Amino acid sequence: MQTRFEHYAATSMMGCKDSPPRTNGELFFDDSWESRAFGIAIALAKKGHYEWEDFRQQLITSIAEWESEHELDDPSWSYYQRWLLALERLTLASELITPDELEELTLAIAQSAET
Amino acid sequence: MSSYDHFSYDTDREVYSAARARALEALLIKKGVITGSTVDKVLEYFKTEMGPFNGAKIVARAWVDPAFKAKLLDDANAAIAEMDFPAGMSGAEGEHMKVAENTAAVHNVIVCTLCSCYPWTTLGLPPYWFKDPTFRARVVREPRAVLQEFGVTLDPAVQVKVWDSSAQIRWFVLPERPAGTEGMTEAKLSTLVTPEAMMGVAKVKVA
Repeated sequence: MQTRFEHYAATSMMGCKDSPPRTNGELFFDDSWESRAFGIAIALAKKGHYEWEDFRQQLITSIAEWESEHELDDPSWSYYQRWLLALERLTLASELITPDELEELTLAIAQSAET
Repeated sequence: MSSYDHFSYDTDREVYSAARARALEALLIKKGVITGSTVDKVLEYFKTEMGPFNGAKIVARAWVDPAFKAKLLDDANAAIAEMDFPAGMSGAEGEHMKVAENTAAVHNVIVCTLCSCYPWTTLGLPPYWFKDPTFRARVVREPRAVLQEFGVTLDPAVQVKVWDSSAQIRWFVLPERPAGTEGMTEAKLSTLVTPEAMMGVAKVKVA
């Protein structure tokens, strides 16, 4: 059986602190944006825009940043907010999109969600 | 530089994160980096091909086959290699697995205090709380209290053992076969086994 990239990406995180949450066998997403962020990160690496290992290192960094700034039982912990931060940093670093356009569209979508 | 500053409350952060993720995907689609169906395809793969749990099948086999169980406890990699799993999916490749058996006298829990080492191919991806920093710290310090919070109340006479996984050794728990399952087939038994039970934070229950 040939290993699919998706399989490789997920197993490469096996047992490490950046591995995504699951519940009862299924990938566990609290919210639909979490699954979108998950899928985007894997798709971009699969297409070669960055190495999967680079994403992992960025994710580990963003988790470590949170852990150094918060108490361990801080209820604001969100795995996928760290994931999203890592994805955002790497996408900008890869120059696939610019910070300005990301900022602009984020605010537009957030504002339309509030009204 | 980040507009996180504009969103100070938790609900706002959720709104912000959702908007951020949508903006990222929309821009990448607009620029032709990905298509509108790319993310759906990735998610579909994980939904359909990454399950079901190999670990549950291993546990069920051990319950019905004493020779397999003995081998599993003695040399988990060799025993798992006998199972009919797709290549790369058994957890037997590239990592050293060990199995701790729950009995009437001993209850085992697995944890990785350094990170979240976890027998992924056997158990699936870890549930969110396994990655929770507090869980990792507390389960070593006060395993009975943590188990109690998971709804597992142990008799004081039962010994609790905590197994710390590492990059070298990945532990998983062989839970006790519940009463009332004597007539069940191996396939039926495997449907009872949850990942939580294989981590030692739950017991197997008859549905």
